[in-house]
Amino acid sequence: MVPVAHPAPEPWAAGCPGSRLAKGRWGGLGTFPVNYSSRDMPKQYRFLLNKDLLWVQFSGFHTDLHHHKDNSLISISDEPDTLYRKLSVLVKGHDKTVLDSYEYFAVLAAKELGISIEKIHEPPRKIERFTLLKSIHIFKKHRVQYEMRTHYRCLELKHLTGSTADVYLEYIQRNLPEGVAMEIKKTKLEKLPEHIQKPIWDKLPSVEETATGALETGH
Amino acid sequence: MAAPLWRRGLTAAPWTRGSFSWLLSCSRAIQTTAVCHKNRAARVRVGKGDKPVTYEQAHPPHYIAHRKGWLSLHTSNLDGEGGAAERTVEDVFIRKFIYGTFHGCLANEIVLKRRANVLVVCAVFLQRLPPYKFYFLVGYTETLLSFLYKCPVRLEVQTVPEKVIYKYL
Repeated sequence: MVPVAHPAPEPWAAGCPGSRLAKGRWGGLGTFPVNYSSRDMPKQYRFLLNKDLLWVQFSGFHTDLHHHKDNSLISISDEPDTLYRKLSVLVKGHDKTVLDSYEYFAVLAAKELGISIEKIHEPPRKIERFTLLKSIHIFKKHRVQYEMRTHYRCLELKHLTGSTADVYLEYIQRNLPEGVAMEIKKTKLEKLPEHIQKPIWDKLPSVEETATGALETGH
Repeated sequence: MAAPLWRRGLTAAPWTRGSFSWLLSCSRAIQTTAVCHKNRAARVRVGKGDKPVTYEQAHPPHYIAHRKGWLSLHTSNLDGEGGAAERTVEDVFIRKFIYGTFHGCLANEIVLKRRANVLVVCAVFLQRLPPYKFYFLVGYTETLLSFLYKCPVRLEVQTVPEKVIYKYL
């Protein structure tokens, strides 16, 4: 039985920034410790920086464990969850700064969900250039050149479960900036089929014996 | 070296040069040297200094990724993506539509953003109409364009008392 979390409709419900659910210390009223680094903290909470741990109260936040059964977003099924060895997210865009900020956002989201990042690299940009005539009629010597630049950024994540991958990808894709496209490659791990789990050569001598037996009888 | 000229009308045949040169000098001509073919694309030419010009208009297109941003943001011009022509046609239509609906109220060019299914039109208007008229026109544009393009269209509007002048050319 594996709880499968359906992707939440609001993108921010996937993981509250900075909350460490593994702490296990849930207050009854919905207060929980929040560990913020000073850089990630929103401005309105900066005055509380002198303490290491902040107790922040969020009203209307359900912490009751029994609520999970009534929660329609999480469903439990008997099928084993698919496993991915590698998830490769390639983003391409015209503007390198937009890709930089999106990479920061994706890495932050992956760290919050506890996904291990294998590597982040930047494939070389591609420029498509073409030359056209500047004038509508004659003037062959005067041309105009246009180019379209595509910058890339590749984020490789490793060892994910199917439900984590779904949640992460849904969150990432809902927050894709305009003018940026994404390509995803998933490398799935599958169990070896039963008929090739054991080597065949254990059974081969019996086959040879029957063949030799057939030959002897044929004589 | 004299600038090469294309002569229309009288052709300069060798036997006419001596006697009819005064006739030839008053024929029409088109200048065809490269020096005269300056770029005029998306540029406001320098004038006397009385023409007010916004930041967008003041920068020629080679500043696009450096000092200017893009006016239309979509993924069809990226490597390996399609649909560029359709998006361009939609953009042109939307710009003309909004220019006509909010006639005389546009302070700057419209910015079009395409995020998944949603088309976001960001516009800066002048405060030439009372607010209730603006609200009506915004709702009208959104509804009409969503029905036309079968996708949610959002208009994000900012108003400004006057056009923001960057410099005078």
